[in-house]
Amino acid sequence: MSDAANTPGAAKAAPGPIIAAGLLFAVGALLFTQALTLAADRGYAPSGPALAPVIVTGLWVLVSLAYLAESIKARGAAAEGGGSWRTPLLLLAALIVYALVLKYTVTGYVLATAAFILATARLLSTRPVREVIVRDLLVAAGLSVGVYLVFTRLLGIVLPAGVLPL
Amino acid sequence: MSSLSSLLDGFASVLSPQNLLYAAIGVTIGTLVGVLPGIGPALTIALLLPVSLQLDDPTGTLIMFAGIYYGAMYGGSTTSILLNTPGESASVATSIEGYRMAQRGRARAALATAAIGSFVAATISTVLLAFVAEPMASFAVTFRASDYFALAVLAMVTVTALVGASLPRGLMSLTFGLFLGLVGIDSLTGQARFTFGVPELLDGVDVVTVIVGLFAIGETLYIASRLKDLPAKVAPLEPAKGGFAWLSRQDWARSWPAWLRGTLFGFPFGALPSGGAEIPTFLSYTVEKRRSKHRDEWGNGAIEGVAGPEAANNASFSGVLVPLLTLGIPTSATAAVMLAAFGYFDLSPGPQLFEKSPDLVWALIASLFVGNVMLLALNLPLIRIWVKVLQIPRPLLYTGILVFATLGVYAVSGSVVDVLIAYAIGVLAMFMRRFDFPIAPVILGLILGPMMETQFRRALLLSDGALSVFVTRPLTVTLLSLAVVALALPHLPKVWARLRGGSGARRLSFAEDD
Repeated sequence: MSDAANTPGAAKAAPGPIIAAGLLFAVGALLFTQALTLAADRGYAPSGPALAPVIVTGLWVLVSLAYLAESIKARGAAAEGGGSWRTPLLLLAALIVYALVLKYTVTGYVLATAAFILATARLLSTRPVREVIVRDLLVAAGLSVGVYLVFTRLLGIVLPAGVLPL
Repeated sequence: MSSLSSLLDGFASVLSPQNLLYAAIGVTIGTLVGVLPGIGPALTIALLLPVSLQLDDPTGTLIMFAGIYYGAMYGGSTTSILLNTPGESASVATSIEGYRMAQRGRARAALATAAIGSFVAATISTVLLAFVAEPMASFAVTFRASDYFALAVLAMVTVTALVGASLPRGLMSLTFGLFLGLVGIDSLTGQARFTFGVPELLDGVDVVTVIVGLFAIGETLYIASRLKDLPAKVAPLEPAKGGFAWLSRQDWARSWPAWLRGTLFGFPFGALPSGGAEIPTFLSYTVEKRRSKHRDEWGNGAIEGVAGPEAANNASFSGVLVPLLTLGIPTSATAAVMLAAFGYFDLSPGPQLFEKSPDLVWALIASLFVGNVMLLALNLPLIRIWVKVLQIPRPLLYTGILVFATLGVYAVSGSVVDVLIAYAIGVLAMFMRRFDFPIAPVILGLILGPMMETQFRRALLLSDGALSVFVTRPLTVTLLSLAVVALALPHLPKVWARLRGGSGARRLSFAEDD
């Protein structure tokens, strides 16, 4: 525990939990006021719909304060594993694009999924493209076609067919 | 004797070709996801829900889900022994000595004591389940709304207090789950709560969406942030010595008492709302270490350190089924998903289940015996296949998880908004992992919260709004006092250490359930 303070970068990483706690508190406070608005409207009757929201969001505010206190006390003691933000952000973008393409374009499940698999496998891989591209292409084609056929033909779940004549 | 004859009926039903097939599929998928890191039984069951709804066979589906739960435990031990990366957290204790054994060229013995121990423990504890379940259910018939409310409080408090590194973080996870449970239209008054004007939220946040976000998306995003740290050293499996001589005579002699003690820890802790298998596995590990005559081997691969925790792990599952089937109270994340699965089939676990669907209950219990025999066969002779599975390239594994996660949410809701909600929860879950928040309490809050609120309001309706209903019924009071004790219990070691003048004693806390 104590040697974490000596790790380079620990000082920079330390505010993480404090920021998280602050955000949690802010969101909690916002939700709490919403619950209070509801309660002003519907009353606090224990059998009514407003009591539980007030209790839960109130608990949220209190617990986030306790977490804030804990984070401040543990400041500099907890080393965070570092890690980069670039890959998760790109991955999230890929996911969102994938979902939107699936829903709002005529690309269809097979093509969208194959493209998503290729992109994601590349993002998560630490090896050069040359070494893995054949394997990735095979998996992308096999998995997307296989999933599409199993789900639509065998299980009767509707997936967008798109431009491919499947 | 009625339990026995019901159980025999259950066997008759399970031994039909169709149900045997469901059990075989379940244990195979379970072993697979148990072996694979990044995907656990809760996520798997959630992803299979839309598929199983199409099959429209509640008994078969639940047999399959139970097989997945069990199989994941067997598979998890393989990963923790060979890779030192427990596939699910209940295998953490196993990995400590198991990986050392594998490194010393005793992988086969470790795998065998884990698999046979799991089998022994599962069989004993399923017998216990068969005989405890019905009396428990007939006792639970007398439960009133206030008792259920108290029970839900107890379950939530114990799970949260005993899981994770800090109380504020555990409570924060729980509160988040409770909040998610509030979203949507209030069932009693039709009032919309926390829907933020999004029509898709009126139906509430689906448990599948939450689980996919928490486990699949959250885990993958987290892994993506630390790709360089991924371990991938599989300990080699030494060549077979011929025949089935996995365990030497001495291994057997040292293993079987540990199996039995592990079972004794696992079953009651699974049945108590204490958050699944982590506590009994670590208790078993500690006890075996203390009792061992081979102290010098600990840290270098002592077989008892694998045998005990693995037995405890599997025994706890039958324990988990006791409150799940008789009271409808889930005590682990996977149990919560199974509860949701019951709901999808319009079945409500609880005392009525034994009266309304005895066939289903007893077929499910009988399937546990059958599934364990299958798992023993699947895990020892076929171990080489699972070792191959461990070598799946990580980028493709996580890509596949994302594809199936998106598909699962899309298939169950047909709405891209739900998919985006799952992604949003995934982003939160990534931060939860980064800042060391436990995940399981979110799901238990989501499932138990609405249950708690409904029972609370029902109790008040029955008592004409008198709050005294929660302090006058002895059973309610007992359960609520137990909840207070459970809140204090994890802090006792710290207090004890302080009294003795020591410092730095760790709180009773363990990794989360998957």
